[in-house]
Amino acid sequence: MQILNQISEFLQQGDDEKVFDLTKQAIAENISPKEILDNGLIAGMNIIGEQFRKHEIFLPDVLMAAKAMYAGLDQLKPLLISEGIPTMGKIVIGTVQGDLHDIGKNLVGIMLKGAGFDVIDLGRDVPPEKFIETAKKENANLIGLSALLTTTMINMKKVVNLVRADGSDIKVIIGGAPVSKKYANEIGADAYAYDAGKAVEMVKEMI
Amino acid sequence: MTEIIKFKINEVQPEKDKIFKEIGYSSIQKIPEKIQNLYEESLKIFRETSNPVGIISEISKEEFEKVFFVEGNNSAETPIQNIYRKADYLSLFAVTLGKKVSDKIREFFRKNDFALGHLLDCIASLAADNMVRKLENLNTENLGILYQQLPRLKHRNHRKDIRTLAYSPGYCGWHISGQKKLFEFLKPEKIGITLNDSFLMIPLKSISGVLISGKREIHQFKNNFSFCSMCKTKSCLERM
Repeated sequence: MQILNQISEFLQQGDDEKVFDLTKQAIAENISPKEILDNGLIAGMNIIGEQFRKHEIFLPDVLMAAKAMYAGLDQLKPLLISEGIPTMGKIVIGTVQGDLHDIGKNLVGIMLKGAGFDVIDLGRDVPPEKFIETAKKENANLIGLSALLTTTMINMKKVVNLVRADGSDIKVIIGGAPVSKKYANEIGADAYAYDAGKAVEMVKEMI
Repeated sequence: MTEIIKFKINEVQPEKDKIFKEIGYSSIQKIPEKIQNLYEESLKIFRETSNPVGIISEISKEEFEKVFFVEGNNSAETPIQNIYRKADYLSLFAVTLGKKVSDKIREFFRKNDFALGHLLDCIASLAADNMVRKLENLNTENLGILYQQLPRLKHRNHRKDIRTLAYSPGYCGWHISGQKKLFEFLKPEKIGITLNDSFLMIPLKSISGVLISGKREIHQFKNNFSFCSMCKTKSCLERM
């Protein structure tokens, strides 16, 4: 459908105004919200994600595309909810206690939303208990943890321990500069992602 | 002796190529127009909302020992514990760009203006680093003056012989809880920086730590400490 291709194109160019207008038009033309989401917005973000992974574009390009995506998504969200269309899954994310770095975490949140997930972002400096409390309250499938300091990544282990002690089947994925797959295995996390694109890939596999 | 230093915005504003490097563009790459426009807009906002100020206070080795070790959460061995003992001069410092720029970054992310928020965040982070570099140079110069007053050190060429480097809690084995004692001594509240329960500074675009001045070689160390394997930046290498 031409209009959905246009939405995808303008999203890739980071033109939020055009994406807003075209999404509005697509809704008015009775194209289903799910189709607009999947074949317009997510299609565009997938291309952006691929280009970013290949280093053909950089973070500002991704973030401009994300703004454009949200311009469309904000119009679709109430329609998707009213039609009872489920999201891909729900994930609680945050930067662990004592840590303030959040650009990586923000990018993961943006790309997960772009991929159709429901994301609850707890922000930075999040106490371990808050992750699990929120995940249980919101019936989240997954907790995503970010840390940039070697002195704060220990708090990831605390979150994992709380999840295991609770006996819930919530999965935990971790990321951040000092973190590694080895560390994820050591602390019993379910997965590790080295960048936002990988995080989305892994979350899709895990849910 | 404690000194409050107000910086001019031009003194701390990062260079254009450093900003673009930070967001992924190499110096030889052509920057797309939309990214150029984003850069100009974020730079304008940075200049309008930043209020760069610092505080610096001389500290003896004995006093610094209390700041560094008291909380007891540091890694068993750290490079800092050897470096400061060989220093000629120590001072604690804190710098901040103020609340307005941090609030603006948060506002942009809230309004889904992620690219502008991110670029402003990068510029502010680089500017905060520049403030620390300025304090390092200031300490080196001050130490040069001190050397002139001491017969046994008068022969030293301070610019050639001395290196002042900053070390901060949260890095290189110095636990983030070390901020607590640092704040008790330095009182950066005087320039509007406070510490929350998780030892994070507010406003966000603030840096604190110790400035260690001495012969260049005191800052050399092998980065094979337990925490070094987890460090992706290895910024110690370019600093040394």
